[in-house]
Amino acid sequence: MNIIELSSVTKTFGLVVAVDNLSLEVPKGSIYGFIGPNGSGKTTTIRMIMKIMYPDGGSLRINGREHDSHRLKNVGYLPEERGLYKKMKIGELLQFHGELNDGKDLKSKIDSWLARLDLADYKEKKVETLSKGMKQKLQFIATILHEPEIIILDEPFSGLDPVNAEIMKDVILDLQKKGATIIFSTHDMAMAENMCDYIFMIYQGKKVLDGTLSHIQDQYGSDTLRIQSDMGAGALEGVAGIEKVNDFGKLQEVRVASGIDPQKILADLLKKTRITRFEITKPSLNDIFIRIASPEKKEDNHG
Amino acid sequence: MDKILTLFKREYRAAVRTKSFLISLILVPIMMGGGFLAVIIMENKQETEDKNFVVIDHSGMMIEPLKKALEIRNQKDIYDPETGEKAMSAYHVEFIEPVADIMEQQRALSERVKNAELHAFIEIGPDILHPSEESESYLRYYSEHSFGDDIRYWFRNIINDQLRMLRVSELNLDAAQTADLFRYLNVEGMGLVTVDKKTGEQQAAEESNELQSFLVPYVITLLMFMLVMMSAIPLLSAVMEEKTEKIAEVLLGTITPFQFMMGKVMGGIGVSLTTAAIYVAAGIFTLNQLGYESLIPYEILPWFFIYTIFFIIMVGSGMSALGATANDNKDAQSLTFPGIIPVILPMFIMVPIIQDPSGTLATTMSLIPPFTPTIMMIRLATEVTVPTWQPIVGLMGVILFTLFSVWIGARVFRTAILLQGQKPTIANLFKYAFKS
Repeated sequence: MNIIELSSVTKTFGLVVAVDNLSLEVPKGSIYGFIGPNGSGKTTTIRMIMKIMYPDGGSLRINGREHDSHRLKNVGYLPEERGLYKKMKIGELLQFHGELNDGKDLKSKIDSWLARLDLADYKEKKVETLSKGMKQKLQFIATILHEPEIIILDEPFSGLDPVNAEIMKDVILDLQKKGATIIFSTHDMAMAENMCDYIFMIYQGKKVLDGTLSHIQDQYGSDTLRIQSDMGAGALEGVAGIEKVNDFGKLQEVRVASGIDPQKILADLLKKTRITRFEITKPSLNDIFIRIASPEKKEDNHG
Repeated sequence: MDKILTLFKREYRAAVRTKSFLISLILVPIMMGGGFLAVIIMENKQETEDKNFVVIDHSGMMIEPLKKALEIRNQKDIYDPETGEKAMSAYHVEFIEPVADIMEQQRALSERVKNAELHAFIEIGPDILHPSEESESYLRYYSEHSFGDDIRYWFRNIINDQLRMLRVSELNLDAAQTADLFRYLNVEGMGLVTVDKKTGEQQAAEESNELQSFLVPYVITLLMFMLVMMSAIPLLSAVMEEKTEKIAEVLLGTITPFQFMMGKVMGGIGVSLTTAAIYVAAGIFTLNQLGYESLIPYEILPWFFIYTIFFIIMVGSGMSALGATANDNKDAQSLTFPGIIPVILPMFIMVPIIQDPSGTLATTMSLIPPFTPTIMMIRLATEVTVPTWQPIVGLMGVILFTLFSVWIGARVFRTAILLQGQKPTIANLFKYAFKS
């Protein structure tokens, strides 16, 4: 069952088409990752789902209900740019957000979440005294405090250190286990690969990817080699059949040209150097993202 | 409604629990009332420093009368009859002959005034006894601030009294017959005779009190001005801050723009009513203690609260909408002035309205909705009887205009609150209001 359905949704700002004829179905209980370069239409799509903006065309159904002017119930929303009342105390702020969202049993939930996200000692402190990462955790608590059915997180991991990002990831997965549907936008491709049941990519307002990770990767085939050698990237120079090299220093990710046998590339490399790793694989989400949204692609599109 | 209430509670607490609220609660009336108090004190306080004058009398007939009047003033009038202390300035006058080059003489005397040797110099024309169009019948007072210098009236009165005496003596009338020739009666300002509603007894008219006539409307107007200034006007910068700090987007996921705006406006009303209740209660208590309970206008207090509430909603929704269109402090500053006009303009015309509360200006302005709350309250607070239909019709106009203001404010607010970098031009405001 789909909890969110977008059908041919379009949104324009003046002459700019921010979202172009977008259709999307988010199954209940899934984690749906929204990816795309900056300014591609992710936030506009999220704002339309949240009814903060209204589409110019198409239809949008949430929990089976057509888009109307009523606010969504049972939805938690963490916008990309965080906004908190600086002068409020942490406990009061959470109480305020909880009440706005019709949350129940707020006091015990506030204590429990503050403890879980390591903010219990700050309950009586003002928001302005918190660090950026702490504010982010606080806003995350405000988003999920009322135990929403749908949780929409715009860049939830940006600005978090690895420890806090890990805590946040665990909480999100926990919420999914309890039945919540989660949409989150991210630029962290590894996080999207590891956490999301479905991935949707929007580019220049249009949907360019939608499906499970393996389904997306299948579209590109096993055209990627991960190579480690004694010579490093230098070994790849002059080797025929290589379309693009992504050099990570100790490891090179190579895109094989269409119709080329990877074994021939391996044979050529062995003539030059000692190979310690040679892996034929599907492209990573990061690679797919770059293939779609790289500057040369952009030029092609504009050309 | 629950969400408006939640937002109202937050706004109310955020405003009332600050030190700045407590400080403004105390300081604002002191500052505003201070101006009024200063006027009263200055009016009662007479200057006692002696002043020097020069009189050039071209007529030659005013030297002796002036000398005589100065003698009476300096030896008797300036002293308090009860305490015997000096209560006013003594005037010392040097009489000089006019010279051929009068311009040069005036220039030299002007220098002496500039050097503070003289307070002023007076020039009396040669033909003042029987002025005509051809004759030189002038009376001139030269000082640095002659317009605001009331001392000139002392010289005017002495000289005119002497001229009348001279003219009478030319008619060969008996002095006894002319003793009350120049006496005039002052008009006593009285209220109206009323009937006590409970006892049916006729109440004699009371002498109209300058304090009551001016002070009550003045205080009522200032209080309303202050309440709107402290609740509705700050909404502009508060909303702008919520927009730029991205708080608005967080809230708009949960509440509609209309609920957002109204929650903030209601918070402003809460703050105002708290302040009003404190001031009104303190005012009633103080006046009762001082024995001035007759000054308390109980009958207009309900009107005051009703008009104030609608005025705050009217101005507050407008200011919230303007705040939603602002991107920075510069925008906020430039938008404050147009938003504040309904609050400021009545202050400029307060005095003529108090002086003539039933006049065309007062009546017309009190029925123009943005100005109705303040102007109607000024009129109701004066001693005149405002026709019953006028405050009612005025209130209906205010309610309609407030609904319009909320409607248009909400349209602008919902469009502008998430827009970044769009200048709040008139064209954009129009677009947000009518085309969004």
